[in-house]
Amino acid sequence: MVQDKNFGSRLFDAVNILLLALIAIAMFIPFLHVVMTSFATVEELTRKPFLLIPTEYSLKAYEYILSTSTIFRALGVSVGITVGGTAISMVLTALMAYGLTRRDLDGRKAINLMIVFTMLFNGGLIPTFIVVKAMGLIDSYMALILPTAINAFNLIIMRSFFQNLPDGLEESAKIDGCNDFGILFRIVIPLSMPAIATISLFYAVTYWNNFFSAIMYLNDADKWPIQVLLRQIVIMASGLAADTSGMGDDFVKPPEQTIKMAVIVVSTLPILIAYPFLQKYFAKGALVGSIKG
Amino acid sequence: MNSSAVQQSAVTASNPSSSLMKRIIRNRYMYLMILPGLIYFIIFKYVPMWGLVISFQDYQPYKGILGSEWVGLKHFQRLFSEPEFWVIFKNTLVLFVFNILFYFPVPIILAVMLNEVSNAFFKRFVQTIIYIPHFISWVIIVSISFVMLTLDGGFINEMLQAMGFEKINFLMSPEWFHPMYIIQVIWREAGWGTIIYLAAMAAIDPGLYEAARMDGAGRFRQIWHITLPSIRSVIIVLLILRVGNVLDLSFEHVYLLLNSMNRNVAEILDTYVYTTGLKQGQFSYSTAVGFFKSFVGLALVMLSNRLAKKFGEEGVY
Amino acid sequence: MKQLSTRAKMATVICTAMLATTALAGCSSKDAGQANTGASGQDNGKLEPLAKITIMANLQAPEVPSDNVKKVLEEKTGTKIEFQWVPDGSYDEKFQAAFATGSLPQAAYIKNQTSFILLRDAMKNGQFWEIGPYLKDYPNLSKLNPDVLKNTAVDGKIYSLYQERPLTRQGLIYRKDWADKLGLQAPKTTDDIYNMLKKFKEADLAGGGKTIGLADRNDLVYGSFRTLSMWFGTPNGWGVENGSLVPDFMTKGYMDTMKFIKKLRDEGLINQDFPVTSKTDQTNLMYTGRAGMYIGSMPDSESMQDKTSKNVKEAQYDVVSAINGPDGKPATWALPGYGTLVVFPKSAVKSEKELKQILAFYDKFLDPAVADLLKYGIEGTNYTKQDGKIVPSTDNKLYEKDVKAYQSIALADTTNVTPAKYTIPVREKAEKLALEANKYGISDPTYSLDSKTYNEKGARLQDIIKDATYKFMTGNLDEKGFQAAIKKWQDDGGAKIIEEYNAAYKNAKK
Repeated sequence: MVQDKNFGSRLFDAVNILLLALIAIAMFIPFLHVVMTSFATVEELTRKPFLLIPTEYSLKAYEYILSTSTIFRALGVSVGITVGGTAISMVLTALMAYGLTRRDLDGRKAINLMIVFTMLFNGGLIPTFIVVKAMGLIDSYMALILPTAINAFNLIIMRSFFQNLPDGLEESAKIDGCNDFGILFRIVIPLSMPAIATISLFYAVTYWNNFFSAIMYLNDADKWPIQVLLRQIVIMASGLAADTSGMGDDFVKPPEQTIKMAVIVVSTLPILIAYPFLQKYFAKGALVGSIKG
Repeated sequence: MNSSAVQQSAVTASNPSSSLMKRIIRNRYMYLMILPGLIYFIIFKYVPMWGLVISFQDYQPYKGILGSEWVGLKHFQRLFSEPEFWVIFKNTLVLFVFNILFYFPVPIILAVMLNEVSNAFFKRFVQTIIYIPHFISWVIIVSISFVMLTLDGGFINEMLQAMGFEKINFLMSPEWFHPMYIIQVIWREAGWGTIIYLAAMAAIDPGLYEAARMDGAGRFRQIWHITLPSIRSVIIVLLILRVGNVLDLSFEHVYLLLNSMNRNVAEILDTYVYTTGLKQGQFSYSTAVGFFKSFVGLALVMLSNRLAKKFGEEGVY
Repeated sequence: MKQLSTRAKMATVICTAMLATTALAGCSSKDAGQANTGASGQDNGKLEPLAKITIMANLQAPEVPSDNVKKVLEEKTGTKIEFQWVPDGSYDEKFQAAFATGSLPQAAYIKNQTSFILLRDAMKNGQFWEIGPYLKDYPNLSKLNPDVLKNTAVDGKIYSLYQERPLTRQGLIYRKDWADKLGLQAPKTTDDIYNMLKKFKEADLAGGGKTIGLADRNDLVYGSFRTLSMWFGTPNGWGVENGSLVPDFMTKGYMDTMKFIKKLRDEGLINQDFPVTSKTDQTNLMYTGRAGMYIGSMPDSESMQDKTSKNVKEAQYDVVSAINGPDGKPATWALPGYGTLVVFPKSAVKSEKELKQILAFYDKFLDPAVADLLKYGIEGTNYTKQDGKIVPSTDNKLYEKDVKAYQSIALADTTNVTPAKYTIPVREKAEKLALEANKYGISDPTYSLDSKTYNEKGARLQDIIKDATYKFMTGNLDEKGFQAAIKKWQDDGGAKIIEEYNAAYKNAKK
């Protein structure tokens, strides 16, 4: 990069960095509260509901969560579903997205419209349940993947990224003797790593966070992924649950705030760890360099 | 890829039928790529769409769709004749406009700001921090807000009082509902929203910036003439998709903020469906309301898509 | 054009596929009922126990329970049990989906009263076994409380077994140490309540001007409001005036209650933000010693005493149940007396014989040994006995792992259950008062009545009243405005609800 830093540019950088730092702090403080609450003692939290630095630290909330007997198996299930599901979704999405980039493809517009349509209209819970049941997916892990294998939003974003690639790549590849599959896997995908990383992250987060499919389609509690377990721990105190339960309200004692916060930390941690690995694909100009190279 | 399309359309104009076959054969691999996805959409999205017909029935789960009684447009008539319907519809639209005006640009601005940072460590650090809130549930966010804003010893009100101001009833006044809502949305989603734009910016050729600097363009002009145009198509696609979800505002969030004092501005279609439809098991009625929502969404998507195309954009279909 | 024809073709494909699936949806009862094919039955008494039963229930515990209790239960009932635990938060959706596809098992629990009302139509339609006529043949089920059974009836017929719940456990919990310091007696009337709150505030016993008298939350039913309204002579939900039913908010007592709370709020004797305060924040006001009174479920006093003591050593709570109404007699709010209900879908329970076996299985739930098992777990592991009372193990995690989930499938709560020994005396007193209050509990006459309009839009209409009530109490609405809200309620469908309930009420009386 050319180092041409005049005064205006430096001032710009200074203001920009200052603003970003302030924004980061504003976003971090409530999260800090979440983390610190998870390590606080219940007594201190009652006295100071918005706690940033506890005077006394406690691991009780984590001990409580981790002593759930099936938690490690559930963690395994979640990792499996997330990895497997993301892989399946990415293959299906990338194929379909690339297939739809060719402008002279007959029926392309109809298919595109059909995809957009599914974002707006859906048949609802029971008809989907009937389809899943008819396909024999009840109590199978595939029920957590197949019904949500392609997300229309992700598909459209991916297609739009593919479309933005420089023209002429395709032609030159064809001259080199590649067919369409070859172009996709050897040229388009390697050049779209930021998009691939982004969409993979979106899928992974969706699979990781999904609890509803598991509740609906798995009767066998031994197969539950970790989010169902964690949610079960938290749900007893959620505002919505108390309101809808009608009569059970006072039988279910709300779990401690510390446990709720610890659940957030535990369920966010894997994604927090995974994110830095994805960040390298966002490095500025990384891929244009690779075209030239 | 544009150039090939132009060539093709020139060819097809001369001999439509034989070239259709030719095109299909030439594009056979493309069709093959689309096929698995297409099958997915048909099985898991279109087959269940049969369920939408219950909005024209008095559906009872045990009778099934074939056994339930047909009632025509009864549920739609009920919706439109509800005394509060227009208020609720208006509230929904207002919230949507707030979203588009005050939330939608924020991730773009943040992404641009991050993109201008040259220190890789600082950039990644900020990026990681601002996307975390996305993983904190609305229940927690709303309860943190409560603790800070309550009249009974909330931090903000204590501060106002200490500075000699009147306490403000943030939580129960209709005027504070929209600001509170949008600040919470921005806090939770803005960082997460930058990810797509940052990915789009990663594809910009650094040579463009170099050339601009040679021409003496300042930072703002570089942003205006290089960064933003490069991600324009992504912005437009996201905007169209957002418009399509016009009536799909985060139900849980609004429901948690809703109370008896702000209902006249905070009741939206989703919360309405929840109390009137789902809580009372009115499957057909809630499906009808959903149908109405989808229909408005579809109309808006088609409209904005057409607009986008008029300006030479690709659009979403 | 081309695009259109593609779409048309697609539509044909889709429609064919849909027809195939709806056919599946319609015939619901194909794959159920595999459970029992024993020898042909004779008399109820001689029926062999059911070989295997599948039960769907909502999981109201942090985790799926261990097998310990289940093994003992299987032994005592002679039946193999398979549980389908469904997380509480999504129970209704799962129930509906399973119901619509005929996949409910032989016994399915209904989440709560609201979910029960939704199923009334299906019950009338014969989707579930009517069990009323069989109950007399079973030693325990025959002794179920007829009043509670009546609350679960649909058109006078019984379709479900109920889980016992105390009828009257609402009351007032207050800081005895504060009252003693100020020389105040336990309140007997609503004036006493006001007086106590005022004194608490004036003496500023929490210190720093932070004292709040009453801690309330955003719930007009399970918060303070309804319990308090009973003490102003308000009926429970619906009351009988001149022989016909009227909703509570049209009565004088309701207006008096609103005025009372408004006065409390105006004078700073209640938390100002109570219309948006959650239960957690409400109880925190108690735990930190800022508030001196709580109106709600009396058994809450136990955790309140426990938690407050950790912040304020000298805190002492006491409970009161009998507050005298305007007529000078004590009154208290009576709940329907049931928690969850269990139903037996015809799609899974194929024969009368199988139903009888299932009822025999559930009859055992009320045997003393099984009742204790489901409520407290296994003796020696989960509890010990002392003076004929049960002392639960203090290992909370063990209790959640082994026992807690089974409490949501238990039927017995007091009948044939050994009472627990409470370490905190105020809880002991709460239990005693709750039992005594049965005598003057006020029940809702519409529990077993049906109104089509109510089912359709009752919840929505109730919001009109709820909003008006809160607005009145926070000073945003005057009496005239409240009457206007009632008028709106009537015009939007409330008048019909009154009509329908009254018709049903007269029918039921016949």
